[in-house]
Amino acid sequence: MNLASLLAKERINLSLKPGKKNKVIEDLVYSIKKGADAELIVSTLLKREELGSTGIGKGIAIPHCRSLAVDKLEIAVGRTTKPISFNAIDKKPVSLIFLIIAPPQDPGNQYLITLGKIVQIAKELTKKHIIQKPQTPEEFITLIDQTEKELRKRK
Amino acid sequence: MTSELIEMHLKLLFDYDNLLNDMDEPSYKKIGFEVRSEDRLSLVRTRNDLLKKLPAEIADAYERLKKRYKRAIAPVENGFCFGCFQKLPTQLLTRSKEIIYCPNCGRILYWRKK
Repeated sequence: MNLASLLAKERINLSLKPGKKNKVIEDLVYSIKKGADAELIVSTLLKREELGSTGIGKGIAIPHCRSLAVDKLEIAVGRTTKPISFNAIDKKPVSLIFLIIAPPQDPGNQYLITLGKIVQIAKELTKKHIIQKPQTPEEFITLIDQTEKELRKRK
Repeated sequence: MTSELIEMHLKLLFDYDNLLNDMDEPSYKKIGFEVRSEDRLSLVRTRNDLLKKLPAEIADAYERLKKRYKRAIAPVENGFCFGCFQKLPTQLLTRSKEIIYCPNCGRILYWRKK
């Protein structure tokens, strides 16, 4: 599955207001779901963060969980205008966040495959120092698509 | 305990169990999201506390179904149980507020809000 095809420009916010980690996660969840469903998703994501930060280092975090509230894999992306504290593994602040919510029933375990793919692409973006390059959601999706294709070629 | 509160507890319990299931997947650890055993244990304690808050018969049913199917709750889509993929009887589809079990596989049914 192509990661770029899972991204929707309405769910990519490249000028996300910086704030506390929990608030930023909440804002991203609300771009996917509202009301009681959103609250439940936020609780599970924060519980996951309690077990160890999903800040994978070099300014990137990938909060993730499964939820009954969604019927397909949902992704929201946020780039904060200023880096925020996320207790990342390298202790460095985070500015790019990929938030993933997957349904519990997930044929072929697409969730974990996509999670792995995002980690791989995110690492490539940091290696090339191009996290800040895209200025619009469309440019962001194009960058992800190109990076994914480059990685595929290398295999 | 109101049926809304029971449903909320059940959903949270289910989400935590899904977290635990994923954490045990070798591919999850390979990605780099390994969780320390003491943190895993704290999540197990939290889910056990949630389970204790549920009425005994629902908690027992949940645990029994989890043992049998790994996932005790199944969403309802287009009148089908998404656990066993069997069509649900029409009278079940006009959902009341009680906890409803699939008459075929026994899983707890969940109606997604649109």
